[in-house]
Amino acid sequence: MKMLILAVSCLLAITGSLAADTCYNDVALDCGITSNSLALPRCNAVYGEYGSHGNVATELQAYAKLHLERSYDYLLSAAYFNNYQTNRAGFSKLFKKLSDEAWSKTIDIIKHVTKRGDKMNFDQHSTMKTERKNYTAENHELEALAKALDTQKELAERAFYIHREATRNSQHLHDPEIAQYLEEEFIEDHAEKIRTLAGHTSDLKKFITANNGHDLSLALYVFDEYLQKTV
Amino acid sequence: MNSILLVFAGILAVCLPASATQCNVNPVQIPKDWITMHRSCRNSMRQQIQMEVGASLQYLAMGAHFSKDVVNRPGFAQLFFDAASEEREHAMKLIEYLLMRGELTNDVSSLLQVRPPTRSSWKGGVEALEHALSMESDVTKSIRNVIKACEDDSEFNDYHLVDYLTGDFLEEQYKGQRDLAGKASTLKKLMDRHEALGEFIFDKKLLGIDV
Repeated sequence: MKMLILAVSCLLAITGSLAADTCYNDVALDCGITSNSLALPRCNAVYGEYGSHGNVATELQAYAKLHLERSYDYLLSAAYFNNYQTNRAGFSKLFKKLSDEAWSKTIDIIKHVTKRGDKMNFDQHSTMKTERKNYTAENHELEALAKALDTQKELAERAFYIHREATRNSQHLHDPEIAQYLEEEFIEDHAEKIRTLAGHTSDLKKFITANNGHDLSLALYVFDEYLQKTV
Repeated sequence: MNSILLVFAGILAVCLPASATQCNVNPVQIPKDWITMHRSCRNSMRQQIQMEVGASLQYLAMGAHFSKDVVNRPGFAQLFFDAASEEREHAMKLIEYLLMRGELTNDVSSLLQVRPPTRSSWKGGVEALEHALSMESDVTKSIRNVIKACEDDSEFNDYHLVDYLTGDFLEEQYKGQRDLAGKASTLKKLMDRHEALGEFIFDKKLLGIDV
């Protein structure tokens, strides 16, 4: 009887059907066999074809890693703007907030990786070629905002990339759960943040050129005060 | 055509240096005699920050491990994710301190590196708690070395930093170590004869659920 179940389940596996009964079959096979362990290899959280086809699973790991790295990059910028020479508490606050958010997203993505039955790999790189090396925190105000804007776009476009991989019209790649996770937790928020940062650079751009550049130092002071109150 | 434009732009740049847009305020000079931290003390503080960052990453890996479907210990996962955030906060506190003392004006970027954690799986809750405990012992030892470096400087005993590290950081380390040690022994005793059930119940206890 057991051999029969095994044969049937092997046959099912070969035909590639997404059988819902495989954990049950494992239980049926393993319980009652003289052994003091239960393997039940198919009793896990993996469904759809998460981790077995396409690169959505590895991209999600790399996305957690990206947030982790950016979180500590932002932390360095927050530190730099809080030294006695730069002394821009508003800019520091802006970067601290970006850092905190990237950190909590890191943990959230790691949890989601495991929610789908996978494990976290902190060495995983993305196949999307946008990785940059060596972050520089010693930037002036406009440079720092520009870097933040670029970084938020990097995070947003990486989400688009994973979303595209997850929504390809193929039986093996389509993963609506990942697509909706990205939409719910990332995509709307990215648009918001990018718009805010772009708005900041527009304001600074006007201040820098206004009045033949004579407004610059006062403008940066006022803008920092504004950030302190609004971030 | 492009090269002509380029040459033209080059000529413009040379001829009109006065029109260059300045986007930042020129640095100003401020007296520096209030900046008193010495090199060996400063360097050991910087290393300590990297160590706290490393610990935060190792705790993240522990959180990830206990979140796995085949491990399924959400209480442990929460404990270790919280510990990761705490380590990150320690790094931030040390950075804040350096900023207060007039440091980190130009050597910020080299302060820390994000390297993948060295270990990614544990046999069970006991092993992870014991690993966490030994990690905390290493951090404590390292803080003591920072204290030594900041105290033993023959020209400048950095009383205030030593007091801060002793009062705030060592205090938290010793409390944290006691907590981990207590958890490890309770769990070990629980698991003496009821391994699987003991860890299950302990995990739910960590979540605040009375089973």
